[in-house]
Amino acid sequence: MIEVHGLTKRYGEVLAVNDLNFSVRPGEVTGFLGPNGAGKSTTMRMILGLDAPTSGTATVGGRPVAEHPVPLKAVGALLDASAVLSSRSAYHHLLALAASNGLPRSRVDTVLEEVGLSNVARRAAGTYSLGMRQRLGIAGALLGDPPVLVLDEPLNGLDPEGIVWIRRLMRRMAAEGRAVMMSSHLMSEVELTVDRLVVVGRGRLIADTGMAEFIASVASQEVVVRTPQAVPFAGRLAAVGAAVRTTAGDGNDDGTGLVVTGLEAARIGALAAATGVELHELAPRQTSLEEAFMELTRDSVEYTTEAEAA
Amino acid sequence: MSQGTVDSRRTRLKRPAKRPAKPRRGSLRTVPPAGAAGRATFVHSLRAEWIRLRTMRATLYVVVATLVAGAGLATLNGSSAGDEYAAMSAADRLMFDPLATSLKGVILAQLTLALLGGLAITSEYGSRTIVSTLTAVPRRGRVVVAKAVVLTAIALPTGMLTTLGGFLAGQSVLESSGAPYVALGDPGAWRAVLGGGLFLTLAAVLGLAAGIMIRSTTATVTTLFATTLIVPALAPSFPGTLANWTTKFWPPSAGGQIVTGYRDPDLLNPWPGFTVMGGCVVVLLTAAFLTFRRRDA
Repeated sequence: MIEVHGLTKRYGEVLAVNDLNFSVRPGEVTGFLGPNGAGKSTTMRMILGLDAPTSGTATVGGRPVAEHPVPLKAVGALLDASAVLSSRSAYHHLLALAASNGLPRSRVDTVLEEVGLSNVARRAAGTYSLGMRQRLGIAGALLGDPPVLVLDEPLNGLDPEGIVWIRRLMRRMAAEGRAVMMSSHLMSEVELTVDRLVVVGRGRLIADTGMAEFIASVASQEVVVRTPQAVPFAGRLAAVGAAVRTTAGDGNDDGTGLVVTGLEAARIGALAAATGVELHELAPRQTSLEEAFMELTRDSVEYTTEAEAA
Repeated sequence: MSQGTVDSRRTRLKRPAKRPAKPRRGSLRTVPPAGAAGRATFVHSLRAEWIRLRTMRATLYVVVATLVAGAGLATLNGSSAGDEYAAMSAADRLMFDPLATSLKGVILAQLTLALLGGLAITSEYGSRTIVSTLTAVPRRGRVVVAKAVVLTAIALPTGMLTTLGGFLAGQSVLESSGAPYVALGDPGAWRAVLGGGLFLTLAAVLGLAAGIMIRSTTATVTTLFATTLIVPALAPSFPGTLANWTTKFWPPSAGGQIVTGYRDPDLLNPWPGFTVMGGCVVVLLTAAFLTFRRRDA
């Protein structure tokens, strides 16, 4: 369990993190999202005791990380996957971490096996691909078999197989009752992996909610309709108060469909049946996490191109 | 953890019974693992920092380079000093210092060991492993002290062997070239050898303190070059009193007096000079300790 109360970090004039309050609960994977520069990494570093908050508190398991007798047994973290000394082997990197917490040597072998690096563990870590370094970083996070995991961009540099692996790993960790906090920019992956979302923008909390509620909060309730009698049917829909446009310009759609808002799919179907209109498609459009995220964080994007801003 | 992990852990625990693990060279096997009710201690940090320092590639290079600098420079200096001594005036012969001649390598060795001390921490900043190091041990004071102790454990024997090797090689070359030489039993010889070893250890800790405060490897290396070699070399060309003052009190210059036999009245005596260096290192390490504890990682 991670609890963050009034957490604030100021760098000179800039409030990198501004009065954040949220918690990461056991048994769930919590996605920690926000545009670049939103203060995600700073927040994670404060939770881990690496940076001191200007004000506020962050606790893991009810107390600051530094007050745990065996820190690696309280929280495991992956903050920067490329952080390995290139001449040192993965084995010795992990062995030093394990030794510093008095963990037995066997834990090193166990986590190396868990992340699939056993065969290359004696090689200098500098020869590793980014994906292998991510796995090594995960191994370090798992060393103490901790009830809390903090993973910053754990999917970076992983191939599709690696992404599926880490998704399953995080789901398993949550199923075992651990609290998992992960940040990522890959919205489609987050959508598949997490239970809850904590969204920040410009250092402030934007949302702290379940995944479904988050998407529903911005869902536009659009329904896509395809029919050979598009023009007359559009007129009928408009007559009962629905807003109608064509799908032209929606991605690579051919533009033959109608996008209806303000009328549920069932009502549209009933109207079609009553007026004898032939329907080829009647589909409520799912808002993706990506769309919802873009919508909610539009005002808090720190770096944007002029065209986007206009 | 998963069923699979639990299983593999169980099999690992069985292993030593069938096949007792060979004690590894350099591992502190006696440290008990932190059990369920355990607590990570300073001794655990010592063991971790020992693993880190001995698996850093530069460590072996530095130790070898330091020993070679000690014995190699002593041999070269000794053989050329023999010829020079033959051509010297009587006044110059009075100032000839066979002890310092054999321990000239200390000048280079203080730099190599200072670089090792610096790298012990700047390698962590350069590679960003400092993040995982401090996540595992959030008590930062413990990390600094453990690094200093482990560094000392490597620098002290290396320093002692460097001065002893330099002394023995240098004096035997001086003897065979017909110049004056000293034996280990002569006055001041052990002071120079053991004190020189301690001085080199102080140089290593100085490097660590500089590395902690500077963090960048490049800037630390530059600073240490300037501190140990460039400033002492340029000091005579500084204006007036500054030149005298720097030559006498600049810590690496003052500390280096520990390996001299001839007494220059303008310079500090061996132990007072050594004390200046020691005091400087204590102050810098304290400053580094306080900085490291307070600063964001």
